[in-house]
Parts: sequence; structure tokens; C-alpha cells
Amino acid sequence: MPALLAPGGTLEMAVAAIDEGADIVYVGPLGWSRRPYESEMTDDDIRAAIDYAGGRGRQVRVVLNTFPSPFEMDDLIDKVRLYDSWGVSGFIVTDPGAIALIRKVLPGTLIHVSIGSGITNAWDARFYKALGADVIILPYRWSEIEITAASETSDIGLEVFLFETVQTGKICPGKCIMSSYLKFREWLDIEGKDQFFGSANRGAKECYRVCQVPWVFGSDESAPVSLKLRRDARLMLEQLPNMVGLGVECFKISGRERPTAMIRDLVRFYRKVLTSIGDGTQTDMAIYADELAVLRLRWNVEKRMRVGALIERADGYAEAARFAATS
Amino acid sequence: MFELSTNVASPQQLRRGDFSAYDALYLGDFSCLNYPGNFSADPESLAEAVDRVRALGKKCYLRLYAVPSNHDLPALRRVIEAALPLPFDAFEVHNLGVLQMLREMGCTKPLHLGVFGNLYTDATARVVKDYGVTRVYPNPELSLKEAIYIRDHTPIQVLIPVHGKIPLVVSETCFILEHSGANPDEKCTFPCAKDHWLTRAAGDWSLKDTGRMTLSGSDLCMLEHIDALAAANLTAFYVQSHGESSEYIAAVGRIYREALTRAFSGQPLGALDDSLRELAGLAKMGLCNGYYFESAGRQYVGRA
Repeated sequence: MPALLAPGGTLEMAVAAIDEGADIVYVGPLGWSRRPYESEMTDDDIRAAIDYAGGRGRQVRVVLNTFPSPFEMDDLIDKVRLYDSWGVSGFIVTDPGAIALIRKVLPGTLIHVSIGSGITNAWDARFYKALGADVIILPYRWSEIEITAASETSDIGLEVFLFETVQTGKICPGKCIMSSYLKFREWLDIEGKDQFFGSANRGAKECYRVCQVPWVFGSDESAPVSLKLRRDARLMLEQLPNMVGLGVECFKISGRERPTAMIRDLVRFYRKVLTSIGDGTQTDMAIYADELAVLRLRWNVEKRMRVGALIERADGYAEAARFAATS
Repeated sequence: MFELSTNVASPQQLRRGDFSAYDALYLGDFSCLNYPGNFSADPESLAEAVDRVRALGKKCYLRLYAVPSNHDLPALRRVIEAALPLPFDAFEVHNLGVLQMLREMGCTKPLHLGVFGNLYTDATARVVKDYGVTRVYPNPELSLKEAIYIRDHTPIQVLIPVHGKIPLVVSETCFILEHSGANPDEKCTFPCAKDHWLTRAAGDWSLKDTGRMTLSGSDLCMLEHIDALAAANLTAFYVQSHGESSEYIAAVGRIYREALTRAFSGQPLGALDDSLRELAGLAKMGLCNGYYFESAGRQYVGRA
């Protein structure tokens, strides 16, 4: 039976996901996990999540998927040891150097390669297996063809998002730093860091989703057009039986920034779907289509609101900076 | 003393350009295999090109495609197999899967990790060093302090871009073609030959799009800080010239060659106003260097 991996942006969300049947919940410590602080957890909440999950036979993975500053690698390893001592089952990591260090420090822990690795082919998976990773998350845009190639090139465990998109637009995340080129903010006290400047890739400084606001695009010789830089992904369904058949061992719901109710309902839905595939009671996904359509609509509404909030926050930082410069 | 390098995509550019200011050339466009005459995609052009560059007394590095999908790997292997026996001084690799492939092919050529290799830490530098990487191009988000720390604590040579637009994003498909109305089944007519810009009035944002890569709108410019770079014992410098004219490449090279020569011989840089004015004149959307100084990339920090 493939595992269902669900987000725990808050302790409330982590508990809801476990209650609805997630096998594994992933949680991010403040300042270390590519999400704004309101979607990350204090160490106390992480411990509570580990205890809650463990008491119900479930697992917690701690997300340390920023690209750390070279100055903070010792701090990262301290965090890894701490969470391991509390019983966390593994880590979700991006930086190859961090993966190598964690493998050395905790030979028996489970390491997922995060989507921030920006892989583009099956040999990437082979590299990370050689590095010591156990599981790798595959990009939204990969289909069964790429999954087959990955499983033939390496025996690393395969994890797939419950989202799909077409191969188009910018590669995100992992090969994009537009947000930090355009906008930066200082660390806040809440994140517990005061030394290094960072970016979306480095934690606690939000990605402002600049790819999802309208831009004007053109050359000197063409009429300008207004467009967004990236297409949205959508929740996936029809492919799931094939993917299970291809050996995908873990399916992931992303969405630490979404409301708890959204995640609760998604976990409930996909728990039902994956269980029916896993125990062979249902292979025709059409019976779930209407329910998925409602969830897709809700997801899009929530996402648009979130992007709007982030852009407004970005503009607010611009105003603060201008005010500071002229004060 | 120091090495100043830049990139050359094709035999045509190599023939027409003035690279007299440069010590080394990176051959190929790592972002688009369809670019006309792209060294990164044309095994048969490599022998003549590397001989030409070496005859000019320069080092010659071959760029490998940055974001190969599975179906690109066979052609990539052919480029590597053609290049291995040639006197390239190094291959530049962005993709870690290709790094793994090179190891398993028995490649002993020195390797450079390119900008999209996402080098952020000395720990990662040690990992890739074990694969034969001798130079790294740190992710542009890193500050100068961080780049120097990586150099010292790996240890490994770091490439420091000093001028040109900053690579921000790479894609597997062409943004310009997707929005040009062209039929995707027809042969590409290279609309990227014209400069394309992404602009947003709110926030005064600008980016340059070359199809499969998005670059900063402003040009990175470290001219005012060359003496500090020399004082930090940094030695490998790079002018990012993807999509720029021959005139740009020659002028920028000349200005930085002069500044670097003065800095490395202990002479003061002197008045830079004229050079800065010339560089600003070549930069349609202005100058920037903010990442090096722990700020948003598009900010510009001048000499105090």
C-alpha cells in the first residue's frame, strides 16, 4: 500500500492530517523549510506532532529543504540530532551537502530529496541515490514515462505529488531565483535567525510568487502582451492506479500554506482513493471525479488568495524600504 | 594572477567576436540545444573550436546542457564522447545527473559546476569536488562573504561573475516560442534573436527573457569593487554575456581587464566615472549587484 504524505503547516493541520489517515506528516521548523513563518512550526509543536503521530502508529518527517547558508551547517546538524532524539522518522532535504552530512551523522534515518533539487532526468535520481538518499520526489510535470525511466535507472524510492501540470514554463522550484532578485526582506525575530540574508530558497523569506502575477512581455518589434510566467498545477487522479503499478511508494499532498480545512478534506479524499487502489477494490477513478472537481475549485480559490497576500506583502516591504531610505 | 572569462555560443560568434580581453572562453549555450550552431549540441564543431581558442592562447571550457530531460541524454552523451579526447581544459556541468553520468563514463577531465548546479554550501562543494569538480559558480543568491567562505572551507576555486545579466531561471521549454503564436511542430525561426523583456510597472520590475532562460533586467556590475575582490584573493572572474552583442563583450572585457590588471598589480583603480558611464550605457535597464552585498539582486551598491 503506497504511503500518503500530508502537510503539517501548523500543529492543528498535522493533527487533522493524521486523524484523516495520513501515514506520514511533514513539518517545517521555523526558518529552515521554504515556507513563510506562519506555515512553519516551533520546536515545541514539532515535538508535539511527533508524539501525536507516534501514538497512532504514524510518522513525521522534518522538512529541512532550504539551501542553507554555508555559515549555518552546524546549526542544521544540531537540529537534525535534536529531532532524531525525539523520534522523527526522517528528513526532507534539498542541499546535496546537507544530505551527505545527515547521512553521515544518522546512518539509519530516512532521507527524502525535496522538490527544490530541480531534477530533470532519471540520472538525477541515480546521483541522489549514490549520495545516500532513500526517496526522491518527482516533479509535477513527470508522467508515467519519466517514472518508468527513473525506476529503471536507479532503485531509489519514488515519491509523487498528487498534482499534475504540463512541461512548460519555468522550472519551479529548484532553478528559479526571480523572487529574491526583485524583493528581499530581513529575517524576523520569530524565525530565530539574525545573521544571514536569504531568499525563498533559503527559508523564511517568502517566495512572492512573482511568476503568478501579470507581467508585460514583448520585444521592441512586437506588441506587448500581458501574461503570467507559469501555469498552475492541478490535483491529480486518473494516473494514480498506473503510478501505483509502476512502484511509486509515496504520494504527497503539498499545501502547508493552505487552510487546515482544505488539507483535512484532501487527506480524507486521497486516503479513500489510495486505499481503494491498494486493496484492489477500485481501479476506475471516474467514480471520484465529481468530488475531485469540487476540491480542485476550492484549491484554486485558496491559491489565488494566497498569491494575492504574498504580493501585497512584497509591495509592503517595498514601501517600508522607501520610507526607511527617506526618513 | 587572474583569469577573466566569458561565454561564446557558436562558431559564428567565435569568428566574429573580439575576445582579446579574455583569458578563457566557455563554449556553448547551456540553455537551448536548438540555438544555431550551439557548441553544447554540435559534436562536430568542437575540434576546430577548441583548437582555435587554444591557438589564441586562451583556456577553453565546454558547456554542457543544463537541464537535460531523459530524451536529451543520448545526444548529450555524443557531445561528451566527442569532447573527451579534445584538449578542453574543463567541462562545465549544471546537472547533477550528468555529473553522475560523467563519473560512470570514467571522465577524468576537470569539471566546473555551472550556475544552475545550485551551489550554496561548502558541504555541497565537497560532494561535487569528489566527482572531479575543480571550480564552482556559486548560486547568484550567495553573498561575497559566503562565496569566499566556500572557497576557503571546501577548499575549491570559485568563479565570481563581475558583469552581465544574472541568470535567474532556466526552463525546459521556450517561453518566447510559447507566446509567439508559432506552430510548435514547425522549425524554430529563432525569435530570441530579438531582445525580449518582462516588465511590471508596479514595483518597477524588469527581467530579460532569452527563451529558455530568464535573466535579470539590470546588469550585474562589480567595477567599483574590483580592488576588494583582488584583496580577497579571488582569481577567477566571469562576464556573463549570453544574448549580448559583440560590441558589448569587447567593451566590457576591455574595461574589466584594465581594472583587474591595476588591482592585481597593487595600483589604485583611479577614476571610474567614464567606464561606469560606458557600462551603464550598455545596460538598458541599469546596473545591479545587490546579492553580493546581502540585498535583493536588483539593488546597486557602489563604492562607499
